[in-house]
Amino acid sequence: MTTLQLKNIVKRYKSQTVLDDLTLDVADGERLVLFGPSGAGKTVLLRLVAGVIEPDEGRVLIGGEDMTDVDAEHRGVGMAFQNFALFPHMSAFDNIASPLTATRSSKEKIAAGVQKVAKLLKIDHVLTHHPKALSNGQKQRTALARALVGSPPLLLLDDPLRNVDAKLRFEMRLELPRLLAAQGATVVYVTQDYKEAMALGDRIAVMAAGRIRQVGTPQEIYNAPADIEIARLFGDPTINLLDVVPQRSGEGVFVELSNVRVRLADYDADVAGKECVLGLRPEAISFADAVAPGAIPVTVEAETPLNEKTVTLALTARGREILVSRPAGTPGPVAGPAHIAVNGTQAFLFDKTSGALLPRADLAAKRSGEAA
Amino acid sequence: MTDTALLIKDVDKFYGPVDYGVHAVKKLNMDVQKGEIIALLGSSGCGKTSTLRMIAGFEAVSRGTISLAGRPVQTLPPVRRNVAMAFEGYSLYPPLTVRENIAFALKASKLSQGVVDEKVAGIAKLLEIEDILGRYPSSISGGQQQRASLGRALIRDASLHLLDEPMGQLEPQLRALLRGRIKHYIKERGLTAILVTHDQTEANALADRIAVMEGGVLQQFDTPQKIKERPANLFTGTFVGEPPMNVFEASVSGSESKVAFGLKDGVRLEYPASDFSHAVRDALVQRQKVVLGIRPYSVRRSADGVTGRVAVNQWLGDQTHIAADFAGGTMVLVEHDRTELDVGQPIGIHLDPSSLHVFDGESGRAISHGQELA
Amino acid sequence: METMSPLERVLRGLALTLVVVFFMFPIFWIFLMSFQTNETILAIPPSIVFSPTLSNYAALITGKLQTAAGTLDIAFMRNLGNSIFLSVASVAVALVLGVPAAYAFARHKFKGSEDIAFTLLSFRFAPPLLVLLPLTQYFQWLGLSNTYFGLIWVYQLICLPLILWIVRGYFEDISADVEYAYRIAGHSWFATFRKIALPLAGPGIAAAGLLAFIFAWNNFVFALVLASADKQPVTVGALAFVTSSGIQYGQIAAAIVLSVTPTLALALYAQRYLVEGLSLGAVKG
Repeated sequence: MTTLQLKNIVKRYKSQTVLDDLTLDVADGERLVLFGPSGAGKTVLLRLVAGVIEPDEGRVLIGGEDMTDVDAEHRGVGMAFQNFALFPHMSAFDNIASPLTATRSSKEKIAAGVQKVAKLLKIDHVLTHHPKALSNGQKQRTALARALVGSPPLLLLDDPLRNVDAKLRFEMRLELPRLLAAQGATVVYVTQDYKEAMALGDRIAVMAAGRIRQVGTPQEIYNAPADIEIARLFGDPTINLLDVVPQRSGEGVFVELSNVRVRLADYDADVAGKECVLGLRPEAISFADAVAPGAIPVTVEAETPLNEKTVTLALTARGREILVSRPAGTPGPVAGPAHIAVNGTQAFLFDKTSGALLPRADLAAKRSGEAA
Repeated sequence: MTDTALLIKDVDKFYGPVDYGVHAVKKLNMDVQKGEIIALLGSSGCGKTSTLRMIAGFEAVSRGTISLAGRPVQTLPPVRRNVAMAFEGYSLYPPLTVRENIAFALKASKLSQGVVDEKVAGIAKLLEIEDILGRYPSSISGGQQQRASLGRALIRDASLHLLDEPMGQLEPQLRALLRGRIKHYIKERGLTAILVTHDQTEANALADRIAVMEGGVLQQFDTPQKIKERPANLFTGTFVGEPPMNVFEASVSGSESKVAFGLKDGVRLEYPASDFSHAVRDALVQRQKVVLGIRPYSVRRSADGVTGRVAVNQWLGDQTHIAADFAGGTMVLVEHDRTELDVGQPIGIHLDPSSLHVFDGESGRAISHGQELA
Repeated sequence: METMSPLERVLRGLALTLVVVFFMFPIFWIFLMSFQTNETILAIPPSIVFSPTLSNYAALITGKLQTAAGTLDIAFMRNLGNSIFLSVASVAVALVLGVPAAYAFARHKFKGSEDIAFTLLSFRFAPPLLVLLPLTQYFQWLGLSNTYFGLIWVYQLICLPLILWIVRGYFEDISADVEYAYRIAGHSWFATFRKIALPLAGPGIAAAGLLAFIFAWNNFVFALVLASADKQPVTVGALAFVTSSGIQYGQIAAAIVLSVTPTLALALYAQRYLVEGLSLGAVKG
């Protein structure tokens, strides 16, 4: 049974189509992340599920029931907002209690429910405070507590970590999976941060311009992005993209980078001669000795050490920019001439005109073939 | 040979009456050498923006001196300091196109039109704004506005470039590339730059030295590497680094042959005394309460380590973040490969003494980093 | 810059004092006049030193006006009562009608909603004299002239647009997400209006109500034409002091002091809400 089904949803604002014939199923107990750049329509979609805006066309089914024409207050979903949307004139306690007061529960029951979720989110010491007196992190936890307190079977989280600082965001990223697993709810989670999407999603739906472009597990999307745009959205630093025309030799398909052949073992011969874009993730490139086979000469422009990795900007002989990423603490050149090696099995080929990922030879079949 | 581009000496900043108002910057001392990139890093309200504005001349210095290339400037108006600045709020001139905005910075230099055009084209290519040079600020995105604003600051030939949160609004897909290009641009021309940022990733990536500020006080002023390897106190240690440093309160006991840290939940970490220098051992056993810190990418998994239980396993493409329940807290590990670990699974955690940071439990000041005394 | 030199401080203080004196002096002078007889008021040169008298207030309260031509009956206290009743009732009606309407205009953009809202505002553009004659005729046909009901109705021309437009702005400033959050928590739209929108727009509603009250209080023309003596507010009633034997400055001053007092008190009281209204900017998120 699916808990949430969206069927052919269309939403227009004036002449602009914000959601364009969108269909999506979220399974019972699943954590689905809606990921995409701002303006993709993620928030509109979430509000439509919550029932605070209506679709122009299409149906919204929750728990198998058609909820398209049901008012927000009768849908029984929980939602947390990006800007927290706390009630400024109520204490944290009353904020969190609001879903319980609607059901006319007894005072004791409400107090017990609020206490429980507040303890879980470690805000039980600030329940008497008004939002004005709460820190950003506490506001965010209060907003989450309000969404969780009624144990709704469907939980909508609209970029809840957007407005907290990096450290808190990281902590919450580790804490949320545990919280949500304890709830057992079906979750739709909106974010613009690909790391959050990969860390929190059972599946990720990539949205752009009102459409869903790809749905899949984090592995599926990272290892087989449907097109160039999606490949660019996942990964930090961004994937390197180079125009190439693959060729074939006796050994198989290869591309030439600065006159050095890089074999693409996973691709079939039929890509040869096509105008392509080669996608190379920065971590699939490493610095190598000049004498190593397949070493490509480059000039290092700048080294920008991050924390757990070091990113280097290098120029190829033809003046193309390449970003190389390596784990922090491993050796690498800081400036001047150097050589890189490319791992061809981690490379993607995209069609240059359509941008679509060119299909690779079925890896699973190949592996099982090797095993046999 | 380097010479000092900027010298800040005993500078105080009060909002309101001196000695009674809000003390935003406290007795700040800093030097910037010619050709250096410096990052002022801290959370909002730490005094970094006040400092930048004092250097630029938009804010009066309450006490102390600021010298640019040896010349005291704290009483000079901004125009006479030869300082270029990119503002956080972009602050492009709305009636001018992006091209005119960038070229405007060269007005005073009396360069020929040809040279100006060439320079603008160069910086536009660097910042990926060639296609929007003819557009007006109101019709471009926030990220594009920020790049245009950066261009206007970088194109000038100033003795000091001040960049206020220069990349906060940048499109994430462009960030890594532009960081590399901008760093190369600044270094190639030998420019001196100070950037203010709350994003420690940006500070690490761009800066030769980072000035970590908190509560108006300069906490540490050192290279990114030193700050990571030898944080001066618990604040710097936990503020710089992503994921943040793991910290655990501990009690120390020592004998001739070993040093032991007692953590919560009865967890004991024992090391042979030879893992620490004499001085470190002496310093440690004098303390009752310490805080142990270790960076997530320095934590190793090993079968004979202390047992923790996997709570979260998050694969992010090029690395895996694992959080394990450990000694009454959470231990975060970063691994560079995909790790198949199930939630609830026990793992052995090894904390190598060479990557342990020990801080004083009371003052938070660093006692030791690995083998050495802080 | 933020640190001021002593000279700057002195100059700033001086400038502020000048402004205060400029605006406060007339009020202060009227206050003094209300304790003087006509003779001392008209004395040249005027003097601040005089023996104060309560005769002006006494005349207003007893309703007996002593003039050179004898004693006149005036209904000032009744006028004052009328003013209070008319203004309070008008504002109350305008709030009951205007606040829900403002909410509707702020939250539900329907076809023609802007046009309707603008039409309502345009009532404020037309000079009252323009509508006065037809209004008088209508009121006579309908039997509404010289009734409180009729006057309160006409006062809606003044109060309703004001409340509608000011309160609408306050409602629009409340983040829609805050209301959505309450709806999703399981509350009806009416509960959301009552428990979220109304309290958050409270300061704005108070400010609008206060302004409407002042405008209603100060109205002259409608009441002059549409009401007779027993229904007239103070603004019209003050005409009684222009007698055949001269203008009663002392009584006029006392009448002004009495009629200004309620609005002044209200304004001072509501100031709290106005300041609160500004600091509630955080609502916008």
